[in-house]
Amino acid sequence: MKSLKQIWLKFAGTRVGQSIFRVGLPESNLGRMQAMVSSFLLHLHPAKVHRHSLQFSSTLGLGLISLYLFLILCITGVALMFFYVPHPDHAYDNMKDIEFVVSAGMIARNMHRWSAHLMVLCVFLHMCRVFYTGGYKPPREFNWIVGVGLFVMTLVLSFTGYLLPWDQLAFWAITVGTNIAGYAPVVGKKIQFLLLGGNIVGESSLLRFYVLHVILLPAAAVFLIALHLWRVRKDGGLSRPDEPDVLVQQVETGQLATSKTYGLMELARGTSPAVGLKPEDEVPAWPHLVFRELLLFLATMVVVMFLSVFWNAPLEALANPAHPPNPAKAPWYFLGLQELTAYSAFWGGVAVPALLLVALVALPYLDRKRAGVGVWFARERRVAVTLFTICVVAAVILTVIGTYFRGPNWGWVWPWAASAVIPH
Amino acid sequence: MNQGPSSPSAPPVPQPDKGDSRRDFIWLTLGWLASLFALGASGFATLRSLVPNVLYEPSRRFKAGRPADYPDDTATFIEEVRLFIVRKGNAYRAMSGICPHLGCTVNATVGRYPYLCPCHGSHFDPDGAVMSGPSPRGLTWHAVTLSKDGRLVIDMDQAVTHDKTLVIQA
Repeated sequence: MKSLKQIWLKFAGTRVGQSIFRVGLPESNLGRMQAMVSSFLLHLHPAKVHRHSLQFSSTLGLGLISLYLFLILCITGVALMFFYVPHPDHAYDNMKDIEFVVSAGMIARNMHRWSAHLMVLCVFLHMCRVFYTGGYKPPREFNWIVGVGLFVMTLVLSFTGYLLPWDQLAFWAITVGTNIAGYAPVVGKKIQFLLLGGNIVGESSLLRFYVLHVILLPAAAVFLIALHLWRVRKDGGLSRPDEPDVLVQQVETGQLATSKTYGLMELARGTSPAVGLKPEDEVPAWPHLVFRELLLFLATMVVVMFLSVFWNAPLEALANPAHPPNPAKAPWYFLGLQELTAYSAFWGGVAVPALLLVALVALPYLDRKRAGVGVWFARERRVAVTLFTICVVAAVILTVIGTYFRGPNWGWVWPWAASAVIPH
Repeated sequence: MNQGPSSPSAPPVPQPDKGDSRRDFIWLTLGWLASLFALGASGFATLRSLVPNVLYEPSRRFKAGRPADYPDDTATFIEEVRLFIVRKGNAYRAMSGICPHLGCTVNATVGRYPYLCPCHGSHFDPDGAVMSGPSPRGLTWHAVTLSKDGRLVIDMDQAVTHDKTLVIQA
């Protein structure tokens, strides 16, 4: 039997194959780079990539995993749209049909829900990775802000998403969420009215959140993702430690290294690391980067499928406006916020999140020194690393309290007590 | 009589610089105004269309049962409107069951603080005052009146103090 490679080579050599792929299976480094540039899907990548960027420990693959989860969410989300009507009279029945009537409906819903949870986790961890390796330092300040936008987008997408099943979780989340919006100064009540499409949580509220979830927010997320990836390329690839000798040489001569094998449009200006690239530090993206990306995609799919086959996504009882569940808990990633709002709605729901966002956006403009870029927990960045870690630990502690230590009427319980209510 | 080109009765000589700058000014102003109007109006129209002009929501005035339907010394929860009808002797009051903090429905229990919010843990006393938890104010009391056919009418747009009661002489 012929090997897969031989079959492919034979097809690529035919007139049809040549018209599609233009270049055959590349044999030389030049061919490998031509393959990257001439293919629509591959041209998003650089032709050559730095060894540091390929190391798994540099990135833990978190950004790419987040992107893959977003793709899985788009595909399973469209699949679910075929069976869902955003109306209080139908939504919950549709969920039951998706689970028990539609073939493989349960798997599609499980994949959608678990991918959403994983995406929240991965985007958060990705942000932590970029912080701890100093990835937001010049020239990448603005891309950090785009990333903060994507983090917010991820949270808002998951929030609008778990409202749609119209179960108890959905109804009380939309009630609490829009009431929090009402605490915003000046325009709060107007925003609340606009979000709900009225004074009560009803059919216009569900329709509004549906439109946000399936069109407006995904479109905005796609735009931000495209911008994020494009800036990664234009800012000279992933952040990595400076290579001082090359930088000094470039400053002295005012010229670029003569051994460059690619055009000027591939270079970023200024002090970005792309300027200091040495050819021997780079390898062709085909196959080194492309192979790793495929491998990571398959690993992501395996994890999502594994979770979806063995664990079903939670669906609570039909929404009952008269009685919330006791306690009424948000999904785990919002329980830290819920714990904060249990002290004060304004501080926990509006002021603290807003201040954190402002701090995240301002961060790259406050912490500008280039020392320690591309190194985990660099010694030069002790203060920044400590401050960020305190915030992360505080968020984790609040989330753990909300998840495991809150029982009926949001009272304190020990997780091992009989009255403990631990959400899915 | 010879009239030179500079004579006052001659047709005015066009002044290219002055005329152009006036024309530029008019066109620029018109252009800016038209562009700002187009962008502003379309943005406003889009946003305004999302603010409903008619609400298909249940009435905020609610007709409950007859006074005798509510046993003495109890608080009866009415699910449709999420409020309690509180009766003490001949005095009737209506207390909202919606937590003023973030809008969850409170649970009625027995004890010193009989109203508890399951979402963020606010505690309220029998008069609806906040005893603990994040709620910024107490539960709202609504005006109660009697309809001509002898039923209690609760106006949820009218807030009253907790000691305001409807007394019905037996």
